[in-house]
Amino acid sequence: MAASLAPTRWADLDRLLLRPGNLVGPGFEPGPELLESLQNDLRVLVIGAGGLGCELLKDLALSGFGHIDVIDMDTIDVSNLNRQFLFRMQDVGKPKAEVAAERVMQRVKGVTVVPHFCRIEEKDVSFYQDFHIIVLGLDSLEARSYINSVVCGFLEYEEDGSPDQSTIKPLVDGGTEGFKGHARVIFPGITPCFHCSLWLFPPQITFPLCTLAETPRSPAHCIEYAHLIQWGQDRQGESFDADNPEHMKWIYDQAVKRGEQFNISGITYSLTQGVVKNIVPAIASTNAIVAATCALETLKIATMCSTGMEVYMQYTGTEGIYMRTVPHDKDPNCIMCSPGVPVEVDTTCTLQKFIDQLLKDSRFKLKLSKPSVSYHGDNLYMQAPPVLEEMTRPNLELSLLTLMDGKTSGVLNINDRRLTGVLRVRVTFKEGLDSVDMDTAGGG
Amino acid sequence: MDPSTELLTEQEAAVYDRQIRVWGVDAQRKLSKARVLVVGMSGVVAETCKNIVLAGIGSLTLVDDSPVTDEASAANFLVQFDDSEGQGITLAEVCAASLRDYNPMVQVKAEAGSIQSKPDSFFGNFDAIILGRSSVSLKKHVNELCRKQTHRIAFYTVDVRGTCGSLFVDLRTHSYTSKRAKDDKDVQLELSYPSFEESLGVRWSSMPKRTSKLLFALRCLEDFEETEGRQPGHVSSQDLPALLAFWKKACEAQTVAESLVPEALLQKLLRAGSTELPPVCAILGGIVGQELIKAMSCKGEPLSNYFFFDAGDGKGIIEKVAPNT
Repeated sequence: MAASLAPTRWADLDRLLLRPGNLVGPGFEPGPELLESLQNDLRVLVIGAGGLGCELLKDLALSGFGHIDVIDMDTIDVSNLNRQFLFRMQDVGKPKAEVAAERVMQRVKGVTVVPHFCRIEEKDVSFYQDFHIIVLGLDSLEARSYINSVVCGFLEYEEDGSPDQSTIKPLVDGGTEGFKGHARVIFPGITPCFHCSLWLFPPQITFPLCTLAETPRSPAHCIEYAHLIQWGQDRQGESFDADNPEHMKWIYDQAVKRGEQFNISGITYSLTQGVVKNIVPAIASTNAIVAATCALETLKIATMCSTGMEVYMQYTGTEGIYMRTVPHDKDPNCIMCSPGVPVEVDTTCTLQKFIDQLLKDSRFKLKLSKPSVSYHGDNLYMQAPPVLEEMTRPNLELSLLTLMDGKTSGVLNINDRRLTGVLRVRVTFKEGLDSVDMDTAGGG
Repeated sequence: MDPSTELLTEQEAAVYDRQIRVWGVDAQRKLSKARVLVVGMSGVVAETCKNIVLAGIGSLTLVDDSPVTDEASAANFLVQFDDSEGQGITLAEVCAASLRDYNPMVQVKAEAGSIQSKPDSFFGNFDAIILGRSSVSLKKHVNELCRKQTHRIAFYTVDVRGTCGSLFVDLRTHSYTSKRAKDDKDVQLELSYPSFEESLGVRWSSMPKRTSKLLFALRCLEDFEETEGRQPGHVSSQDLPALLAFWKKACEAQTVAESLVPEALLQKLLRAGSTELPPVCAILGGIVGQELIKAMSCKGEPLSNYFFFDAGDGKGIIEKVAPNT
C-alpha cells in the first residue's frame, strides 16, 4: 500500500544538537583568534579509540583542534574493522590508541595526537586536570562512572552553594549500539552528572540463577546456563576463556542440548558468542553521527562556553530518523556532583565526633568504613598512609568549626576505599545539637 | 557452524560480525551486490563513501577530475595532507586509494571524465547514485536518466554549506520490510517517491508553515547560482544584494511573503561559500550512508524525501515535498 503523496506532515527532528545557551554569540563562525586558540591553547582528551574514538579524533582534528590526547587499553581486533576506519587488517593486535594517533597525524596537517595505551584508572587523577574538555567514546557504564567521579572530584563550591566556575571540567559523552545512540554534555555542578542520571541507561541484562537452572525460556538462558553453571560442574578447575574457540564451542554444544531439552530453538554459534562475550552490535554510520554530534558540542564549548543546554540527545535510525532531547535536572543530593549532602553538626563537635556521626548516619553507613576528611584541599584527617595518619591524628581532637575556618557552613570532601569517588558533605553548624540523640542528628 | 554465515566468506563473516548482528546475513548479502556511483568528492561525499565502503557494498565508482588542493582536502579525510603537492593526480584517484584501504573487499575505482560527458548508458550500470554539490540542471538530468532505467536506481543528492546540510532522496517505488511495533513482526511496506523535478514543481505557498526555511533558502541560492552561471558554492557575502533581489522575485512568483526566510539565513549561506564544517559532513555522511544501506537491503523505513540540518540552531528536519495526486 503506497503511502500518501500529499505533503501533509513532516517529521520534526527535535534537536540533533544541544541548543546553544544564552551566553552564546550569533553563530558558529570561529574567527581567526578562536581558531588559533583551538589550534594552540586548548587541550582535549578523547577517551576510547574504538568506534566512537576513531570518528571523534577525525572530526576534532579536521575541526581545528591542535592538541588531542587519546587513551585506550585495547588492541585491535578483526571485528573492529567494519567501523574503526583508522585500522587495517595488518594492524590487528596493535594498541588502538597508538595506531589511531599515528593515522590521524598522517592525514591532518598540524595536529598533535598523543596516545596512551593503558587503563583510565592507571592515570593519576592529576592527568585529567590538564585537559580543558574530556570527550568520551566508551562502551561501559563502569568506565563512564569512573571518569564522572574523577571530574566531579575536581568540583568545588562557593559558600553560597554555587559551583566555582574554574573547577568545572566539561564532559561530552557519546554511546552507540546498532542503529541507536546518544550524545550528552555534562557540566559538573550545573547539568546532571552521570551519576545523577543513571536512570537514563537501560537496565543491564542479567538472568536470575533460578531461571537459568529451572525454567529457561530463551536461547540466551540456555547459553548462560552452559556458561555460568554447567562449565563449573563439568569442567571443574578449568578457567573459562571466551577467546578459546574450543571453550566457546563446548558452551554452544551444551546450550543446543539444553535447548532441545526445553524445546527452545534459535541457538546459534554467533548468538552464543554474543551472549557470553556481551557483544554490542555496531555499525559505522551510527558512530559517525553520534561522534560528530559530540565533536560539534566540543567545538561549541571550546569557542563559545555555552552552558544553558538541554543536555541529552537520543538517536534511532532504524525506522526513519528519530532524535529527541531530554532536558532534566541534576539530583540536588547526588553524591558525586551536588553541593554536598547536608549534615548538621553541633558547634562544639570535634573532628573525631564528626567522623563517628558520619559512620552512624543511615545515608552513609554502607558507603563508609574508614573515612578520610579534607577541606578545600587541606587534609584534616587521613586514614592512610601511616605517616599521614600520624601527622593528622591530632586534628581529631580539634573543633571542626575551627578546622573549617569558623564558617557556619562549608563543604568537606570525604574519601573512603568503599567509595569510587569523593563524597561531598555540606556541613552546617548549629548550637545545642549535642543534647539531641546522635542517630537523628544527621538531618537532611 | 551456522548455515546462514556460510553464505559469506570467512573474511566477510569476521570483519562484518558486528554489523551482521544489526541487520542480518541476508541484508549483508544484498549490500555486497550494490553498485554505487558518487559524483563530486566533497567532504560530505567522502564521509558517505567511508560509511558505505566499511559496510561492504559491492562496488564504488568515483567521478571527480578536479585536482587535489588544500581547499578540497579541508573537510575530506580521505585526502592525506601531503597529497596537496599537485602531482597531476585527481581527487577521485586519491580518494579511491584511501577507500580501498578501508575495505579491500569492496571494488573501488576512479572513473575519469566529467559526469556531463558520460553517455546515458553509463548510468545504467549502477544501483545507487549519489550526487555531491551540483547544479540544479545536473541534478535534474541525472535524476531523469535514473528514472529512465528499467531497474530501480536509488538517487541521492547531498550538500553541506558551512554549518548547513541538505539531502534529497528518490527511490522511485520502494518495497521494504519493517518491524511492526506492537508485536515485533516483520511487515512488507511500499513507499512512492516523486522525482526531483516533481518535487521542484511543488508550489511554496502550498507547503506547511513550519517547513524548514533551509529548503527555500537553498532552492533560492541554487537557482541564483544557475542563473548567474556560477559554479555551485562559488558565492560570497558580496552577492547579498543580488541574492536578495533574486529572493524577492522568487517570492513573488511563488506567492509567498519575503519574510518566509530571514535575511540572516541567506547571509549565512553566502558567507559559507563553498566551505563545509567537518562534523556536519560526518553527520550528513552518516545519514546518507545509513539511507543507502536501508535502500539496498530493503530493510527499514527509508526517509522521504528531504533532510535538512543546521548545526547553528541545532535542528534536523525531514520534509516530504511531493505533488498532490
